Amino acid sequence: MSLKVTDVVVRRGVGPVISGVSLEVHQGGITTIVGPNGAGKTSLLESLSGIIPIASGSVELDGQDISKLSRRQRSLMGLKHVEQGRMIFPSLTVRENLKLTARAKSDFDEAMSLFPELEKRVDSQTALLSGGEQQMVVLARTFAAKPRYIMIDEMSLGLAPVVFLRLIPVIQGIAQSGVGVLLVEQFAHMALKAATDALVVTSGHVSYQGPARELLGDEALLRNAYLG
Amino acid sequence: MSLASRPRLTTRPWLPLAFALGAIALGAIFGFGMPAYVVFVSTSVLVAMVSLLGLGIVTGTAGMIALCQLSFASIGAWILEFLYLKTPLPTVFGAASFLVFMLIAGLITAVLGLVIGLPALRLRGVNLAVITLGVAAAVDTTVQQLGFPDQSFAHIPRPFGLTSDPTGDRGYFLFAVVVTVLIALAINALQGSRIGAAWKSVAFSERGTASAGTSVRTAKLSAFALSAFVGGIAGCLIVGQITQVNYLTFTPINSLGLYVLSIVVGSQLIDMALFGGILFVVIPEILKQFRVPLEWSSVAFGILGIQALTSNSNLGTGVRAALFRRRRLREAARVEAVGDVAAVETVAEAPIPTGTGRPLLVVEHLTVEFGAVKALTDVSLVVEEGTILGLIGPNGAGKSTFVDAIGGFLPQHTGTATLDGEPLDGLAPHRRARAGLRRTFQQDRVPPSMTVGAYLRFVTRGKAGPDAIADALQFFGCPDASIPLSVVDVGTRRLVEVAANLAARPKLLLLDEPAAGLSHDEHLAFANRLRRAPEHFGTTILIIEHDLDLVRSVCSRITVLNFGEVLASGDRATVLSDPKVVSAYMGETEML
Amino acid sequence: MNIIIALAVGFSSGALYALIGVGLTLMSVLTRVINFSLVAVGVFGAYLSIRSAPLIQSAPLEVQTAITVVIAVVVAAVVSGILGWIEATWLSEATTTARSAVTVASLLMLISLSFILFGSQPQSLRPLLVGPAFLVGEVAITKVGVAMLVAAIIVGVLTWIIVRRTPIGVRLRAVSDRQTAAELLGVNVKALQVSVWMVMGGVMGLCVSIIGNTAAADATSMIALVIPGTAAALVGAFKNIPLTIVGGLVVGALQGALTAFPSTTQLRDWIPILIIVLFLLWNQRKEVWDVAR
Repeated sequence: MSLKVTDVVVRRGVGPVISGVSLEVHQGGITTIVGPNGAGKTSLLESLSGIIPIASGSVELDGQDISKLSRRQRSLMGLKHVEQGRMIFPSLTVRENLKLTARAKSDFDEAMSLFPELEKRVDSQTALLSGGEQQMVVLARTFAAKPRYIMIDEMSLGLAPVVFLRLIPVIQGIAQSGVGVLLVEQFAHMALKAATDALVVTSGHVSYQGPARELLGDEALLRNAYLG
Repeated sequence: MSLASRPRLTTRPWLPLAFALGAIALGAIFGFGMPAYVVFVSTSVLVAMVSLLGLGIVTGTAGMIALCQLSFASIGAWILEFLYLKTPLPTVFGAASFLVFMLIAGLITAVLGLVIGLPALRLRGVNLAVITLGVAAAVDTTVQQLGFPDQSFAHIPRPFGLTSDPTGDRGYFLFAVVVTVLIALAINALQGSRIGAAWKSVAFSERGTASAGTSVRTAKLSAFALSAFVGGIAGCLIVGQITQVNYLTFTPINSLGLYVLSIVVGSQLIDMALFGGILFVVIPEILKQFRVPLEWSSVAFGILGIQALTSNSNLGTGVRAALFRRRRLREAARVEAVGDVAAVETVAEAPIPTGTGRPLLVVEHLTVEFGAVKALTDVSLVVEEGTILGLIGPNGAGKSTFVDAIGGFLPQHTGTATLDGEPLDGLAPHRRARAGLRRTFQQDRVPPSMTVGAYLRFVTRGKAGPDAIADALQFFGCPDASIPLSVVDVGTRRLVEVAANLAARPKLLLLDEPAAGLSHDEHLAFANRLRRAPEHFGTTILIIEHDLDLVRSVCSRITVLNFGEVLASGDRATVLSDPKVVSAYMGETEML
Repeated sequence: MNIIIALAVGFSSGALYALIGVGLTLMSVLTRVINFSLVAVGVFGAYLSIRSAPLIQSAPLEVQTAITVVIAVVVAAVVSGILGWIEATWLSEATTTARSAVTVASLLMLISLSFILFGSQPQSLRPLLVGPAFLVGEVAITKVGVAMLVAAIIVGVLTWIIVRRTPIGVRLRAVSDRQTAAELLGVNVKALQVSVWMVMGGVMGLCVSIIGNTAAADATSMIALVIPGTAAALVGAFKNIPLTIVGGLVVGALQGALTAFPSTTQLRDWIPILIIVLFLLWNQRKEVWDVAR
């Protein structure tokens, strides 16, 4: 039972922006993707969730090929993509954001329990929240949908490191509950500490792939991987 | 002579003229050789073609919706008749009256187009659709009630003494051919000029247009006014053809039909305007022969229109893509070849520019808020003339917001910015560009619908000659000026954007991640070229970049932003070894 | 003609413009399109419905009327739904301009089809409500006018309740805020948007059935009625429903006022444009750069 990506090629315009990436995310595990900006990490996630098409290669969710399915169908199959930039619905309140995905009251309460500090803001419009609170709403909303796999794109964007430190244990908890997590991050060290597996993507292809521990322990390996 | 400056074959200025003369000759043969009925119908085809040419500029090139083209025709017709019947001017101009009045009618209609377009064209394109539909209906009922000046059944004399019988019809057809050819020549020339580039740019990106120093409103208005002028001329041609018109000739439904047809064929292309004219006139004629209700042609156009819109293409581009596929592939191959040469070229290592020490850009207490989110708080910095300043910081730190604010796209900011002593505050983006401030974009804002050379002429506002353009292209290893931008890849398009903005010799150039999409080798080449840029172009540069190697190799001074605030500012070595800066990147220590 | 009576006459059309304006505003907010075919689908549905007259001749009058109205509503909803489906399938990421351009093409088609199927003579579309509703002093306010105003208010209020207080409304607002993010959460964007198109179409079918040939005598009304509707919507900046209703009434009142003086009657066709121009200038007075462009 995994999210299996095999030799995926993604084109944007004339040339490939992702060439031949393969990875596997197991339920309960955290795989992190790090790499310089512009390397194509966001495009990779977008191709997996269906925002942009895959030129070649395959994507399998728990054994089923999803590369021809629509975004909504992939989402309903349990693959959730948390986009870069804190995509809250600005005109909706926190409660309404969560109600979109939480079927039952128990799901709602469980999601809210991830971030008790949202309790007092539950009926505020999310447009008025701080960046960190908005990111919490996005994560709670995604968790409330009871996903099988979550792909998170630069959760730390524009957030203070201390907020990121707050969010990482929540991600680990979500993984422990049986969800497979694919985490794209710019704060490489932090992400590597939390993850089980790691990939370094540079200029559209994988320059290193293996256990996160190894990458964390070897500065030279990481530097080489970044500079290609 | 390097590859970049080798001249290409298509700079043959006599080609359009040759086509024009050929068309007129063909028209003469056609007009005096074919049966009278065919000639009469063909005159209608030419009128429709002229209307479509006008529409093509507004809808095809400039990307807006205009639904009153025939209203312009009816206004033009009305003015022509008025000048003939209600003024003593015919005695003044004699046989040339028709021609003179036609031009006057066109000009007055153009002015009306300006008046109608003005409120609609401040930024939202679909507003033009609303106002032109209203104009179409209002002009229709007004003309219905008012009637045309020739209500006393006085026939309007044809130009140059042509008679109203079949022989005169042939002569008039030739007259119409000449007028159509002249208009097509003029439009062809305009499409290839800076005005045409402005239209194409505004259809693709309004921000990109403004940053290139061109007013978005002027670009849109000029397109609309020209379409009104041409529409007025078309109306006059109708009067000359049938010598008596009423409101039924210019119904709003036909204006809608022309608009939809314009989208289907892509009438900004001259051959497609002719094809559209044929469809518009000949299909109803065929239906008439078979006694099928004429409205079926409108239904067909409607279906084709929806098809064109859903596939985001039209007949013209489809045909051209098929015909020129091999040429495109050859051009794409040439672009790649130039790219390889550029990477291999060895240029002597230039030092990091040190500048004159005089402050050029002074920013003080810049603050930008989006609702509750503070994107920038009390940011102050100085860029010294002749240097390259690096603006770095983690993702989301506010770097692009900073460039947007200085560029004039965030008028709600507080704080001041001064360029070379002159305050920038309150100036619209295109005015800042003209004052010497240029910027490039992180997203691709280079319109693919023109050649590299046309783009550079547009961005430099015509102030750079062909040598200066070739020099700027060669400086960055860009493709030749004649290559169409549609075959150039995104990374190279960014380089073209940088070259174009430098060729404009601005006082200050803001570069927003210009090297994204380039390989590691290309980064090094780019860095080397960038170091020589301030001296070569007389420009000061501020560069936003994530590649800290690049930043380290071109910048003398660096400012670091974090959460919208200035974290550190100073010379390169000090800033990059500051522990606060290191911990801000936290986890990316390996990058420094 | 007395100016007071002229204003009262203007009320009837003004209320109609208000309803159309409300429909245009809702479609703009919820489905990101200026739907130039909004009135056309209603008119088409109504014209098709009266073709059923010979088939139901034997039924009592009330039943005949009911059947005719139902047919009008259903046909209008279906045609509008087809258009919405085309938009949602192929133009879901397209600009508002491209999406609106499709409704221009469909307007052309609907007018032409109407001429082909139903001829160019005025249609025998009996208005469902005839005569004055009440008298204010010596001024008669027509039943049709009241019905239209009531309909505009009901549509506005119902939409407000649905959008603000129901789960569907939450989803509609989410789609309107960030379509891609909604899709990624499994929201059925296509179904929602097609539903909006169908409901608005149905409302227009009902509306045209009520007003009959007092305002929708022939297919050219498909163009003629949508224009003052856009003027009303612009008064509300395509966002604010109460202002749109007021805008529609104002356009109607101004037109009515001009018909009181024979010398200015011809200007009544330019009132919508005047309002359009004024409010385009007003709405765009602050330069705001579209982030996407």
